[in-house]
Amino acid sequence: MPVLAAQVTEDPLERQMLEIAKDLRCTVCQNQPVSESNAELAQDMRSIIREQIKAGKTRDQIMNYFVERYGDYVLMKPRTSGAGTLIWLAPVILVIVVGASGFAFLRRRLRPTLPPPPPLSKQDAERVRAARRQGKT
Amino acid sequence: MLASNLSLNLVELGHFCAYLAMMVALLQGAAPIAAHYLRQPRLAQLSVNASAAVFMLTTIGGLSLVHAFVTSNFSVQYVATNSNSLLPIFYKVAALWGGHEGSLYLWVWILTLYTLIVGWRGRKQYPEHLPAILAVQGWLIVGFFGLILFLSNPFDRVFPAPPDGNDLNPLLQDPGMVFHPPMLYLGYVGFSVPFAFAMTALITRWRSELWIGLIRRWALIAWGFLTTGIILGGWWAYYELGWGGYWAWDPVENASFMPWLLGTALVHSITVQDHRRMLHTWNIFLVISTFSLSLLGTFLVRSGVLSSVHAFAVDPGRGAYILVFMTVVLAISFGIFMVKGRYQQAEEAITSFMSRESLFVWNNVLFTVACGSVLLATLYPLALDALSGQKITVAAQYFNAVMVPLFLALMLLMAVGPLVPWRKAKLDRLRSRLLWPFGIGIATAVAVILFFPPVHWTGPVAAGLALFAFSNLVIDFARAVSQRRAQLQEPLGRACYKTVLGNRRHYGGMTVHFGIVIIALGLTGSGLFRSEATVSMAPGDVVEVAGERLRFEGVRDLQGTNYQAIQGRLTLLNSGRVLLPERRLYMRQQAPMTETSIDSTMARDVYVVLAESSDRNKWAVHVYVNPLVRFIWSGGIIILLGILLSLSSFRRPRADKVAAAARPAR
Repeated sequence: MPVLAAQVTEDPLERQMLEIAKDLRCTVCQNQPVSESNAELAQDMRSIIREQIKAGKTRDQIMNYFVERYGDYVLMKPRTSGAGTLIWLAPVILVIVVGASGFAFLRRRLRPTLPPPPPLSKQDAERVRAARRQGKT
Repeated sequence: MLASNLSLNLVELGHFCAYLAMMVALLQGAAPIAAHYLRQPRLAQLSVNASAAVFMLTTIGGLSLVHAFVTSNFSVQYVATNSNSLLPIFYKVAALWGGHEGSLYLWVWILTLYTLIVGWRGRKQYPEHLPAILAVQGWLIVGFFGLILFLSNPFDRVFPAPPDGNDLNPLLQDPGMVFHPPMLYLGYVGFSVPFAFAMTALITRWRSELWIGLIRRWALIAWGFLTTGIILGGWWAYYELGWGGYWAWDPVENASFMPWLLGTALVHSITVQDHRRMLHTWNIFLVISTFSLSLLGTFLVRSGVLSSVHAFAVDPGRGAYILVFMTVVLAISFGIFMVKGRYQQAEEAITSFMSRESLFVWNNVLFTVACGSVLLATLYPLALDALSGQKITVAAQYFNAVMVPLFLALMLLMAVGPLVPWRKAKLDRLRSRLLWPFGIGIATAVAVILFFPPVHWTGPVAAGLALFAFSNLVIDFARAVSQRRAQLQEPLGRACYKTVLGNRRHYGGMTVHFGIVIIALGLTGSGLFRSEATVSMAPGDVVEVAGERLRFEGVRDLQGTNYQAIQGRLTLLNSGRVLLPERRLYMRQQAPMTETSIDSTMARDVYVVLAESSDRNKWAVHVYVNPLVRFIWSGGIIILLGILLSLSSFRRPRADKVAAAARPAR
């Protein structure tokens, strides 16, 4: 065993590559990003990303390169345009619809603790007055 | 030789019993209907006796399969595909649910077990409704046995019998395999019991205060199993799959998560019906939907429509059967709900928007939205692909963006809800009670921002809400204890103990909330503050990740019972502990499997994966430092304790009191 411990650090290129590969889907795998897959395709894609980073391309350029070849399927996060629009709108619509239904339900079932007493009819009022007068005398 | 002959015949006996079980289940389902139309009420009792027979027969079938696995009887196709003579006995038994056919058998086995218990408890508690409940269960059993016996039969034989089995998928050769699927199925199938009660309530116009207590208990049991199953699944995925995470928003995970979301809504809204006699119809709707999602989950996983790591069975015939079965169950149950639902009417009204029942409604709104979003996001890519051929990926990135805000809103409700009284809250009183906890929450959020500068906005919010909820729980409990002490002059320990045991349902629920708070902290810590490095190391090299220094010592060869392995050795220089990650090559499998090694403390996990070697002396090593992961598993245990506490309350349900009150009048 070597006496001197050599400190190794992560290759910054590797980290940059993984940060991009995380958001790309390995298209032959089952629900795995390129960063985690051991499939040959994923390994090839990783080396392509490495080369492109070395060639000075930006993250967006590299992502676009893969989208041109594999379509939107390769993006782990669906776009907010095209077929992905609905998927992003759905939770918003659900919040509005279900929230409004919940609110409407509460409004409809809302009753004060006790209903306010109905106003006395003229006859009844007269009776009450009469009773009070009697009680006083 | 004698033993193997016995095993051969036992499988046929089991096979026969399974057919018989299906026939008896048919009787169980049909007898109460016949009793109704032939006006022979005593006929209905048949279904009660049948339910016990169905369980016995299904058990004989199941045990014969277990026996075939243990004795390595490879003349059974299913055993030959999923087992191997070298497999440890532990996994031979668990291999019963290692594949498609056996998992379905486990499903129906658990269903018959639940039916047995319902039948046994019901003879005294709800005898008039028992036949109808068992009939609903009986038809479900028939449906599943139909799938098992005609389309995916675990008793099928193969001739000539292969000399050795194909081996269990190595991913499944793990203690997690022994516990995770049965727990999950106990949860899934458990929701069939409230479903059967709800159907019976609709059909027989059972009075709501009589069934609600029964449904509450069963829903809680099912929810408890499902929660445990999901957390166990996360734990298993965490140490087995080797990517440093525990939840990937994989469609199969979503399939179990959807019934969990609606089940959680159900467990809460049942309380409203129990205490305030409202939401009857909504509760029945939730019960039906939750069970439907359990069926959908089974369909998604078992039909192979999903492209995911779990889909180890692909067969269109089975998919079509489950789809038709599910459609029939949905159509009949929602049909009955539409026709008869209005007889289950709410009796009371909301007094104020600022009341516990109103917050429960918002809880239900949020859980429904969460469940709907997961459902759409899981099914939409499938539908899009089927209809237009266009493929998109909806993965973790999407789900995190959508679900985290919803969960944060739910955390807020969870923090405040238990303090708000039923009917109407006095705002000034509430404000003074919330003041301190709110301050603690804000202070936590500020501390997170200050001490971990570049952090996603969800970090401080989640931590703040967690501490807000936690201090509310503590203060609420402390108030109850001090009141008790003032009244009864009890010592502190006794007062705490008596307070909890005096209201087990409430404190059971609060314990579950506490578990959720702990899990939320764990998710925040491990989700937002993970550090990782992938380095190539020669023996003697040292790597530092998030303050943890690891020295790679080298590798050695290792021989397991049914695999060969290369074991790496790393020393954690801070503590001197040793990590031993492996790469295993199982017999009959081509690709090597990684076995992670984890050094775990409450504060952080150091998680190491040995990857491929680049040259003779150097190995690629993935090191992850995941903070607070243990909080998640600990929270799971706390939740389980909370559920047990809540279920231990054997207060006689209101149903019995009403029945008891009605009896002398007769």
